[in-house]
Amino acid sequence: MRSRLALVIAVATTAALAVSGCTKKNDDSASGSGDKKTYKVAFVPKLQGVPYFEAMNAGGKAAAAALGNVEWLYQGPTQADAAAQADIVRSYIQQKVDALIVAPNDPDSMAPLLQQAKDAGIHVATADTDAPTSVREVFVNQATAEGIGQGLTDSLLKAMGGKGKYAIVSCGQTAENLNSWIKVQQAYTKEKYPDTTIVDVVYAGEDQAKATQMATDLMNAHPDLTGLVGECTSSAPGVAQAVKDAGKIGKVFTVGLGTPQAMKPYLTDKSSSAAILWDVENLGYLTAWAGAQIAEGKQFQATNKVSDKLNGITYDASSKMLLLGPALQITDQNVDQFNY
Amino acid sequence: MSVGTGALGRRRVLPAPVTGQEFVLVGVIALLWVALAVSTPAFLTAGSIQPLLVATAPVALVGVGMTIVIVTGGIDVSVGGAIMVCSVLTAKALVEAEVNLGVAVLLSVAVGGVLGLVNGVLIAYGRVHAIIITFGTANLFMFLGLRIFGSGTVNGIPGTLAFFGRGPDGRTLGVPHAFGITVLITAAAWWYLRHTAGGRHFFAIGGDAQAARLAGVRVQRRVLLAYLITGLLVGLASCFVIAQGTSTLDQSVGSGKELAVIAAVVIGGTSIMGGRGSVLGTLLGALLVQSVASGVTQLGWRSQLSDLFVGLFIIVAVGADLLRARARRNR
Repeated sequence: MRSRLALVIAVATTAALAVSGCTKKNDDSASGSGDKKTYKVAFVPKLQGVPYFEAMNAGGKAAAAALGNVEWLYQGPTQADAAAQADIVRSYIQQKVDALIVAPNDPDSMAPLLQQAKDAGIHVATADTDAPTSVREVFVNQATAEGIGQGLTDSLLKAMGGKGKYAIVSCGQTAENLNSWIKVQQAYTKEKYPDTTIVDVVYAGEDQAKATQMATDLMNAHPDLTGLVGECTSSAPGVAQAVKDAGKIGKVFTVGLGTPQAMKPYLTDKSSSAAILWDVENLGYLTAWAGAQIAEGKQFQATNKVSDKLNGITYDASSKMLLLGPALQITDQNVDQFNY
Repeated sequence: MSVGTGALGRRRVLPAPVTGQEFVLVGVIALLWVALAVSTPAFLTAGSIQPLLVATAPVALVGVGMTIVIVTGGIDVSVGGAIMVCSVLTAKALVEAEVNLGVAVLLSVAVGGVLGLVNGVLIAYGRVHAIIITFGTANLFMFLGLRIFGSGTVNGIPGTLAFFGRGPDGRTLGVPHAFGITVLITAAAWWYLRHTAGGRHFFAIGGDAQAARLAGVRVQRRVLLAYLITGLLVGLASCFVIAQGTSTLDQSVGSGKELAVIAAVVIGGTSIMGGRGSVLGTLLGALLVQSVASGVTQLGWRSQLSDLFVGLFIIVAVGADLLRARARRNR
């Protein structure tokens, strides 16, 4: 009996692995060889299964449906891991997709892979997070670092009354985009709000509970602290939760880079004053459109009409960057407009 | 029933109730707290210590099970994945079925028990080393957890589990419930491991499984029980994890927790080779690790320094254990 149970489990596991293996193979052999040329545009997010990148995926799918000649492929690692992401990129190179777009976990280690893809005749691009040293043809940028850093600072300082002490709870210590925003926040705060000091920047990884605990520790270490910034989608609700648990709503104000549905309870009870983000579905749409453009070998204009909703998307030829637009401020007033 | 623990032999057979490592840990923690209290005045206040104890609870609680597992000579690296499965299921039940506190805890503990049972059966009767089996099940659990998440976070978790949380609902007379429960369970486990024949059997197995079998210990049953206990505790700890998080649960939940738990156990003086260890030490180990993390943040030091300190503690603890083992051999 006992050994049979072990056997059943073993067989079931093997079967599950075999089945998932087969699925992959099927994807491989399905090549788009219709009458009209369809372009395979593959997007590799930092991490699959989080609302942020799933919303980008939804936007990409919508673009593929609207454009008609794009097959949208989407696969990412289940943890924000550079090595696992590299494996997925390699598999897309093997599949000879037409355009390969990556949101790199580690821009430096992604650069040689993008070179490899280019050598294989694949058009390469980055979206969401850039790999500035790579051979990418275009970077689809959601908002400039200035836009985000200033948006976070302005909305926090508005809640804090224009002065005081605040701290930043960031996530990955090597995350290029988070660090570039923090730099802007530091410079901009110094310049525009001279009576304000940033007392500390701490790193919690992608761990919500750790971000919450660190925010609690920061409030204890600095009793005169009146502001906290959650720099990524896991620490933005984390800092708000810490304020709520400590019973300091209205005394300590928080803002963060959070997704609307996750931030909604905190925006409602005022433990978070505002979330700064951009329309993520539109970013996915723009990413798929940009992939199709480079796959077809078309040039970008200074301003581009992508769809009726996305009109006047600017392209900066010197930095080869498409810009979605200004950052979006999400408050308890408009949070219900977003379903992710 | 009892195996060789007559009134006469008892004093000699049992190790000291509190080991040297535990005294050292208490000393280190006391020293650290005093140093932190001096350098950051807010450290030794209720508003700082209470959240610290709450944050310690889940790691220490799973650590009780992990200590028993490691004492038998095994290891369980699947607890992170198991926490993910338990917490996502419980969070979904809280949101979609609006279950109450009792049902949520029962559900989570039951799910954890099933996962622990899977590990236990495979390890006890499959005769493959625990690290291989639990490494496999860790990935299976993660797959399962991600499937339940289904490409999205669980949003709008109600405050049902606030009883275990960091907020004012989470404590009675200033004692955080999560930590109080952890201390009670640790005390119960300490007594069970030390003063019952069944408890001593875990040590016998870790010392020499073959000899234990010849002495009449039902090795497979005991080993299965160790992983089952760990699973049940993972279930309860998952409720603590949900309560400590935000109203959104994402797929990073549980990630890396297996290493945090093993670190607490090893720092607590349990021998990674099996046969020796104490749940009391594990509780102290978890408390030390969290005190260091909070201290580093409160002092305004760089966040990565807490990793450095934890790493040093592990190396020192394992080194001390190896030196003790060598001293025993040479005696």
